[in-house]
Amino acid sequence: MSVSSQTLRRTALYEEHLALGGRLVPFGGFEMPVQYAGILKEHDAVRHRAGLFDLSHMAQFELFGDGVAEWADSLTTNAVGTMKPHQARYNLFCNERGGTRDDVLFYRLENRWLLVCNASNAAKMWAHLNTRNDRRDVILSDKHGLAALIAVQGPAAAEIVDELDHNIRSIGDMKYYFCEEARLEGTPAVLARTGYTGEDGFEIFVDGRDARKIWRKLLEVGRPFELEPAGLGARDMLRLEAGMPLYGFELSEDLSPLAGGQGWAVKMSKPAFVGEKALAAQLAADDYRRIAGFVLEGRVPARTGYPVFSGGELVGEVRSASFSPSCGNRNIGTVLVTKAAAAVGTALEVEIRGTHHPAQVVPLPFYKRDR
Amino acid sequence: MAQPEGLLFSKEHEWLKVDGDVGTVGITDYAQNSLGDIVYVELPRVGHQIEQFGSIGVVESVKAVSDLFTPISGEVIEVNPALGPDSGLVNRDAFGAGWLYKVRLKAPSETGALLSPSQYDALIAEAAH
Repeated sequence: MSVSSQTLRRTALYEEHLALGGRLVPFGGFEMPVQYAGILKEHDAVRHRAGLFDLSHMAQFELFGDGVAEWADSLTTNAVGTMKPHQARYNLFCNERGGTRDDVLFYRLENRWLLVCNASNAAKMWAHLNTRNDRRDVILSDKHGLAALIAVQGPAAAEIVDELDHNIRSIGDMKYYFCEEARLEGTPAVLARTGYTGEDGFEIFVDGRDARKIWRKLLEVGRPFELEPAGLGARDMLRLEAGMPLYGFELSEDLSPLAGGQGWAVKMSKPAFVGEKALAAQLAADDYRRIAGFVLEGRVPARTGYPVFSGGELVGEVRSASFSPSCGNRNIGTVLVTKAAAAVGTALEVEIRGTHHPAQVVPLPFYKRDR
Repeated sequence: MAQPEGLLFSKEHEWLKVDGDVGTVGITDYAQNSLGDIVYVELPRVGHQIEQFGSIGVVESVKAVSDLFTPISGEVIEVNPALGPDSGLVNRDAFGAGWLYKVRLKAPSETGALLSPSQYDALIAEAAH
């Protein structure tokens, strides 16, 4: 074996995953549960009841100082300076070519910020942030691996979190994409109404030493709601249905936020930022290959990398694909294709083991919950 | 995890049940569990000649595509029609209703190259280490 298990890190919840029968796989440098009872069962729990996720592998950076907003605005495509305390916002860091270094979430608290990056980009992003920080009024702290992140996602999420011993006035009234400094079960935490599943849900930032207590308590109070532990397999299926990008698939150093379908988070009117010129040129030319959603006819699933044709011409490839319970058990996915082939309604063919299978470009997201 | 008696096993985690000159083939419970939720099974057509240990199709789970090998040579005489609409049957009943196909055996002596239930048990116990 080329990858020794000793080189993989473990989250504070590793023992909990083993006890729950989680199947652990290497992901972003950590041993993470890809599933417990089964991906489809966990997907169903999140869509209809609630699922519990360990996201402690994700990189957590703390940002302090009066200069954070201005500094972060110079490095990212979405606006940071307009964020109010208690707000969370999706954002992207680009390279000079407009490619995406990482897609992230900023959480603004009263006296600090949290920046959550993809696990696979943790080292790269930490280096980037430090290289770009020559300011006295911005202080960075790496909490990766020390802090835990636990998500409760699904229609019952608010009721379950409310069962914890907490000091929030009204969990149910917390707004989507807002966050609070809180005490949960007697320990300090940040509670955010954010997620990556297309359902209502919460993300809970706690110290790694408190993670097992919170995790176990959530499973206990979640039992009447049929809360189930859910792994990365279900998470990938849920995020794809919800039309959310996954770094390395819809976004990469060679795929800009525009190409990856995240143009809504590129604010050309804000002050200068890394990658701005390249993105402006892309916008003007509008000829880049881009991500589009597709639905396959028939039951044969597509996989990442499969060639995609339109009218007999090779137009791109599959980036993400999944069986989709929330789309009538059809096979869905994203393709990276030419501008013309990305238009909704375009007839595509996906080559699967030498055979062309018909597919159609559809709008993203595939799934939207009723609010 | 004891394997059902009366079946023979390949190292590629298929099972074979011989009844006269007809063999019924499926994947083992260990295999379905390792694969996770199965969403598609691609099998040879009826009438197709298959060769022992040859690659004859694929099983697709939510996360992965896996090759299917045949434990025995012969002519495919039936494929399980229930799997088209419901390939999850393989997960729920790998040794029963989730069978894959039936084959008219070409060389019954080939079964000598397969594993007994206890030998297969030993194989998967080893794989767990």
